[in-house]
Amino acid sequence: MRIGITGGKGGTGKSTIATALAVELAKKNKVLLIDADADCPNDHLILSIKRKKAKDVFQLIPKWDFKKCIKCGKCSFVCKQHAIVFIKNKFPIFIPEQCNGCKACMFACPTGAIKKDKKKIGSIYYGKKGNISFVSGEIEPNQPLSEFIVSAVNDYIKSKQGKYDFIVVDTAAGTHCDVISALENCDFAFAVTEPTPLGKHDLELILKLLRILKIPCSIVLNKADVGDKNFIKKTVKKFKTKIIAEIPYKKSILEDYSKGIPIKEKNITKIADYIKKL
Amino acid sequence: MTKILTIISGKGGTGKTTVASCLAVMLSREKKIAVADCDVDAPNLGLSLDLKEKDYFSFIKIRATEKVELIKEKCTRCKKCIDVCSFNAIKWDKKQNIPVFDKLLCEGCGTCKIVCPENAIKLKKVENAIISVGKVYGFGIVSGQLKIGESGSGRIVMEVKRKAREIARKENAELILVDSSAGIGCPVIASVNGSDYVIAVTEPTPSALSDLKRGLKIVNHFGIPFGIVINKYDLNKEFSNKIEKFAQKNKIPILGKIPYNKGFVKALVNLKPAVIYNKRFELLFIRILDNLKKFYEI
Repeated sequence: MRIGITGGKGGTGKSTIATALAVELAKKNKVLLIDADADCPNDHLILSIKRKKAKDVFQLIPKWDFKKCIKCGKCSFVCKQHAIVFIKNKFPIFIPEQCNGCKACMFACPTGAIKKDKKKIGSIYYGKKGNISFVSGEIEPNQPLSEFIVSAVNDYIKSKQGKYDFIVVDTAAGTHCDVISALENCDFAFAVTEPTPLGKHDLELILKLLRILKIPCSIVLNKADVGDKNFIKKTVKKFKTKIIAEIPYKKSILEDYSKGIPIKEKNITKIADYIKKL
Repeated sequence: MTKILTIISGKGGTGKTTVASCLAVMLSREKKIAVADCDVDAPNLGLSLDLKEKDYFSFIKIRATEKVELIKEKCTRCKKCIDVCSFNAIKWDKKQNIPVFDKLLCEGCGTCKIVCPENAIKLKKVENAIISVGKVYGFGIVSGQLKIGESGSGRIVMEVKRKAREIARKENAELILVDSSAGIGCPVIASVNGSDYVIAVTEPTPSALSDLKRGLKIVNHFGIPFGIVINKYDLNKEFSNKIEKFAQKNKIPILGKIPYNKGFVKALVNLKPAVIYNKRFELLFIRILDNLKKFYEI
């Protein structure tokens, strides 16, 4: 069973909940924790896991054979990423940062002058903590396509996922393609939110996304006693979902977090029991 | 020339939007500014300033991406489109015996259109975002919202910044304040690109410091001067010292330190910038502004 921990807004407690939940579930089950926040992976810091590199992630990019190039400019014309600059009577200039590896230029080239090449865009790491197996993806700074790293992580675990009772996926903030890739194939998701107008606003966005992805979900209300719960209650009603745990705001949780200790909180057991009954 | 000051953090929830709303209010007392919310995935800045939908006076629909469509009658079932798609967006529908295109995964690159021998695939522009323009506390604010499930957040960020520049020109604003999204991916790269100064908001946790360092790699890539604000610094003073040491070693100015105070959450709940909700918070941001002047001459 693959469970996504997401939330829309940043800093609501996704990683805190995901790591604590993995620890709780691993008491009796085989658990794989995936840190799918390729921009800013933090779960290994919270669980003090020394990660080892499993593999590098490469993205396909084009490479020109200028002996065959007739300077027709078709490659530049078809590139939606504006990664190929063409000036009349000159060879095309390639901007690798912009390229998303779609291969349109290769198929558009009439002389077969464009071959496949690759660039490194990130790495996949693995580790272990007690009964928890851990995988995380990390993008190289200045590479924009985080979703490619998440997809590569999905591919990496494909052959291994049958071994686990539960796969807990910690997503990035936002609702963008990297979050969508992380939620791919999730059987269930928890949206972690906080009782502020901003939490509510972003919660509605992620609930809409989960609806489009057809993933059933419940809500974990973090920092439940800060702010005003009524913000979230209206949203819960509107989306016909429910809050399954309310985690109070405690300075001790923050202090543990700031020291890199996974939180101990009875509500986590509640979430774990809920998952086991799904 | 209008200068652009951009706020980033790496880690989410460190307080970008709180710092942005407070700095916007304080800066607008000194000079003409415009504000851009470039967290197009989950824009919150307008909301935190109590701007409701009715308070915006213009909405611009953005069509920055394309998606493919199949002309069924022309398809000869050669399946070439499936083979070339780099994004797994095309699947074969056995029942209907045609390719189906997953709109969530399609990047609109048009590679399938190029290889289709029957011209059975066309690209259609889709509306993928709405940009709203409003005014609050005396400054213009531009906010972008990506449609759920749509791609192309980097391009939307560029559109939001373009609109903000237009408003800044019209109103003779000296400065544009940009609030970016969490992470270091394409929307953040697009936010930082073209900025004159960057403020990185962090908190005293190992996660936040790790993400801060990753965020600063982006800023360094563009060679933009930057400074750090440590939010909730007193939650772990020891770790705050560690961040300060990191800053000192790398010659990065600490622009300000903000203590943890429930008043900031209360301000959020009441949809007011913290400096308006409680005047006592002003001093914290005056100090940041003084440092901005000292280090950046803003």
